Amino acid sequence: MSNNILEVKDLKVSFHTYAGEVHAVRGVTFNLKKGEALAIVGESGCGKSVTSQAIMRLIATPPGEIKKGSSIIFDGKTDIAKLTDKQMEDIRGSEMGMIFQDPMTSLNPTMKIGRQIAEGLIKHQGLSKQAARERAIEMLRLVGIPNPEGRVDNYPHQFSGGMRQRVMIAIALACNPKLLIADEPTTALDVTIQAQILDLMRDLQEKTGASIILITHDLGVVADIAQRVVVMYAGKVVEQGTVDDIFYNPQHPYTWGLMRSVPRLDHDDNKELIPIEGTPPDLIAPPKGCAFAARCPYAMEVCLEQDPDVSKVNAGHSASCWLLHPNAPKVERPVEVGGHNHG
Amino acid sequence: MLRFILRRLIYGVITLWVLITLTFIMMHNLPGDPFANSQKLSKEALAVLKKTYGLDQPIWVQYGSYLKKIVSFDFGISFNYPTRTVNEVLTQTFPTSAELGMYAIIVAVLIGLTLGVIAALNHNKTWDYVAMLTAIVGVAAPALVIGPLLSYFIGVKLGWLPPALWKGPEYKILPTITLAFGTLATMARMMRTSMLDVVNQDYIKTARSKGLTKFAVVFKHTIRNAMLPIITILGVAVVNITTGAFVVEQIFAVPGMGKFFVQSITTNDYTMIMGMTIFYAALLIVAIMITDVLYGLIDPRIRLSKGGK
Repeated sequence: MSNNILEVKDLKVSFHTYAGEVHAVRGVTFNLKKGEALAIVGESGCGKSVTSQAIMRLIATPPGEIKKGSSIIFDGKTDIAKLTDKQMEDIRGSEMGMIFQDPMTSLNPTMKIGRQIAEGLIKHQGLSKQAARERAIEMLRLVGIPNPEGRVDNYPHQFSGGMRQRVMIAIALACNPKLLIADEPTTALDVTIQAQILDLMRDLQEKTGASIILITHDLGVVADIAQRVVVMYAGKVVEQGTVDDIFYNPQHPYTWGLMRSVPRLDHDDNKELIPIEGTPPDLIAPPKGCAFAARCPYAMEVCLEQDPDVSKVNAGHSASCWLLHPNAPKVERPVEVGGHNHG
Repeated sequence: MLRFILRRLIYGVITLWVLITLTFIMMHNLPGDPFANSQKLSKEALAVLKKTYGLDQPIWVQYGSYLKKIVSFDFGISFNYPTRTVNEVLTQTFPTSAELGMYAIIVAVLIGLTLGVIAALNHNKTWDYVAMLTAIVGVAAPALVIGPLLSYFIGVKLGWLPPALWKGPEYKILPTITLAFGTLATMARMMRTSMLDVVNQDYIKTARSKGLTKFAVVFKHTIRNAMLPIITILGVAVVNITTGAFVVEQIFAVPGMGKFFVQSITTNDYTMIMGMTIFYAALLIVAIMITDVLYGLIDPRIRLSKGGK
């Protein structure tokens, strides 16, 4: 029995629009171990959220479509990509829960929060209304809502943003799921609340042993909570490895770019941040070669012609870049991301 | 809550007073007077008549005495039907109009909302187009067209239902359908738009992420939120429909108040104009107040805090 809770293999998701087929996710492969926290990072529109919603099967079809040949093996046995809608309903909420980006709009404004937590419990664990309510109060206490007995009958508008995100976490974790997907859970919150929510998530992960997929574009959040990182660009995984691998030994020029565009405290010189020039490619007509080639300062002819294979750096660390090919010219990594300072 | 209702009542009375005043002034500035059509009357007889009804006095005196009368709910005697008081006309005809109106509203809400929900759930598919086609026909074809068509084909040609009059239950079906059609169409279109808006909200995704069935997501999470804009128009629609649809009542010979409403203006029936207007306005004010209270019940965000602030 493998100790992977989730094995995503060659996941392809497209959206059929009037303009044409948008290839939002183009063959994503990664694994998630039991009890592990995995971060998926990348800029807006790179397919992070679509990947996570495909795992939850929350993509509306049509216009969306999970392509044939994609497989999402959950808990070593079920292929989520092949389940019927009915079968999926039993897994959603009970085996996997999800937290969304904007807590202000993620809760039903006309339903008491206690009922919103209880719904999943009644459906999946067959609890009575009363028992589900008790459990909802317990969940509210667990996520740090003061006076949960009084708050259980409140409506979402009576909560602040941070409190609502706590309620969302309570909903997602109510049935003790094995997998928690958090889609930018702190993006819409202010900085002090962000830290509280991250602390809470880390704390609950330790208590429940759930695996976490954390979607984010905030590398600070990644360092804070994740053990492994998947870097996505234009619907593909360009690099994945442990947090140490990605932060101290990044291999892909896109990862370098990401690192250089974030301020860091451990570099004393007041260097300017270096943005990645240009914009991501149009996913209606993805480029033939490496999707990042057009923005990559190290691009070679082959990059424009052919998509690079996955190259292993070490057992858990891999990247898709022609620079890792044995015949590729040696490129000096930028100083900010671990290159040697010759100055 | 009580304070809220009380305050709204006071506002309502003020609104009513403004309305009475404006209507009174405009009415008296209309060309002609209640006796303009009675050409055979001699000047002397006319003067006597005007004196009897107090029309010879300056307008502000008339206004004063009128206000005094309506405070005790006395709307006076109709000029056009000198044997009947306005109050009598109202109490005799409003129940009929209201009955027809209630049937129509119930049909319009039930079928309209159902059509809207079906259309939204099958967005851009066949059932969406079928429902919206019905709705567009309803909006485009007024009662003036639908009424006679129904009355002729179902009433006269097929003989399934009586083509007119207001007696037993079977007489009430065709007028109800005719009257409901327009509102039904509006409801369906609004509900569809509102549903489509709610379906794309994040909290629907949350509901689905809990593993709820499609049925539960639609009925527990979507429809209730989508109903909010419907409540807004419902109050006004109820008043509009129950106070007598002139056209429908004429087509099917329903003894409702719609006829008096229209006739009173063409005949310069001063007391009837005022009575009808005040009645209509008062109903509208109450309906809007009820709507606001209902709104608070269905949407906790605008529920009034204690003390009616």
